[in-house]
Amino acid sequence: MNLDVRSLRTFSRLAHSGAEKAAGSLTTLAGIDTYVNVTKVELGTKSDVENEFAERDLVSVHIGFSGGLDGHTVLAFSPESAERLVDALMPGIDATDAEGELAESSLKEVANIMLGGFIDGWADYLDTTVDITTPTYVDDENDGPLDHVDAEGFENGGDDEHVLVFRNQLEAADNAIEFDLYMVPTASSIETIVEASGEDGALPVESFAAFSEMINDGANQASEDITAMTGIDTTVEVSRLSFVPIEGVPMSLTDAVRRGVVLEFSGTPSGYIAILFDEPSAENIASSLLPGMEGDEAMRQSAIQEIGNITTSGFLDGWANALETTIDISPPKHVHDIGSAIIDPLATDLAQSQEYAFLIDSTIRTDDDEFTCDIYALPDETELRKALKQLSPAA
Amino acid sequence: MQVYTTDTPAARSGRIKVGIADYAVSGDESTLTTSGLGSCIGVALYDPETGVSGLAHAMLPEADDGGEPAKFVDTGIELLLSEMRAAGADIDRVVAKIAGGSTMFDFTSADGDGSIGDRNVAATRTTLDGFGIDVVAEDVGGSHGRSLELDSETGDLRVRSAKSGNHVL
Repeated sequence: MNLDVRSLRTFSRLAHSGAEKAAGSLTTLAGIDTYVNVTKVELGTKSDVENEFAERDLVSVHIGFSGGLDGHTVLAFSPESAERLVDALMPGIDATDAEGELAESSLKEVANIMLGGFIDGWADYLDTTVDITTPTYVDDENDGPLDHVDAEGFENGGDDEHVLVFRNQLEAADNAIEFDLYMVPTASSIETIVEASGEDGALPVESFAAFSEMINDGANQASEDITAMTGIDTTVEVSRLSFVPIEGVPMSLTDAVRRGVVLEFSGTPSGYIAILFDEPSAENIASSLLPGMEGDEAMRQSAIQEIGNITTSGFLDGWANALETTIDISPPKHVHDIGSAIIDPLATDLAQSQEYAFLIDSTIRTDDDEFTCDIYALPDETELRKALKQLSPAA
Repeated sequence: MQVYTTDTPAARSGRIKVGIADYAVSGDESTLTTSGLGSCIGVALYDPETGVSGLAHAMLPEADDGGEPAKFVDTGIELLLSEMRAAGADIDRVVAKIAGGSTMFDFTSADGDGSIGDRNVAATRTTLDGFGIDVVAEDVGGSHGRSLELDSETGDLRVRSAKSGNHVL
């Protein structure tokens, strides 16, 4: 199977307009203003998605679909968001009283309406009919959150094969309720959609999978390097490649103030990298690199720049090897600002020549969440295509 | 197809969120908000007579062919004004407050025309001038990010930044 930027755009638009329909139905149903924040087409492994559900203790409702298209949709909430949503739907009901049963059924009803609306748009586009199953409620006490999703990946076998996930971040009532709407189509259904949108200049899906592997390896190396340098024991929580409308890139981050570095890299591909820490993590780094010292602001900045350098080279060195090229890195520029505003100029620079972006994001953290580091990489689209070609099986 | 310019549902919570490459109009007392302006520019327009207000968050100065209009300063302001007019605003009374357009990094790609932030600010002035709209207050340029809240009742524009805190334009 081949994927190209045009079919990815079609996917992205279908998913976004479906999510807007879903958001609109929640606004009507519950009287809560609901917005679609970002729509992403993500390429990852099934276990990546499962890990994320487990890490965030997500509560979710699953609905399968079949007919002209096959796969699963999932509406996932943090437990707090689920509680607030139930409260908005049924004010005054003591959710603890009915031992969550009422809560469960109202979440299922929400999912039924939202996910139904989401799927309709896809069926319309493909001029087909799609049936949906009754909703299943899944919480973190069940085993695998994706147990109901027997998503066959592209490679057909195992949890580590790649799936294409359509993920829409929605929010309601002034950020009090946040949830994700996922759609995981089967590999053959993806093929159906790709065929409907044409595949001129498409690249084999294996090269996207190989690229995704390369990102994973890079994130693991960066995590090891951070641990070696600071003594903080970190692991990679998530690492993925997604396809996003360019304006959606800064919107993936919140208003929270972050500290870190921004660098340019040049070669095949070239682009931008931002390594961002929340403020406590940045403090952690400064104190582990400057033990026993009351560092001033200049020393802190240089500690952050140092770790930014190490993390970037850990993250990118493997790319150069895999792509048989050299990638040069600019000196790191220290940043301390609103998270989304840090990423905004990077996305805007690319927006001059592209409407969509491949966004690479990885999170490195400690088990107790005391330390988190987010890596965002934004390669130039045309050059990334060259890199992907290099990774295709025929190359 | 408009990807990010949402048909804003009727505000019940009193806050309307404006995304990036997006705009919204309020005819009541809602607050329009937008966050994460780096090199992007926020254009807040207000008709003091009717209280109709609008907020746009644009990424780039001039539209190219076939681009999403809300992404650009020139076409974004034009769209915002036509929606405000439809909501009862009189363009002759509308005043503007603008914020954003900073230059956070010196990218190698920046050519002789100046940074995108500077170009966004210049395009905003030119476009508003073309409509005969005065800029009555501004907080533009610099090297830091901003988030905005436009109070439709008073026309106050609250600017939040990580470095210089909050202030009202």
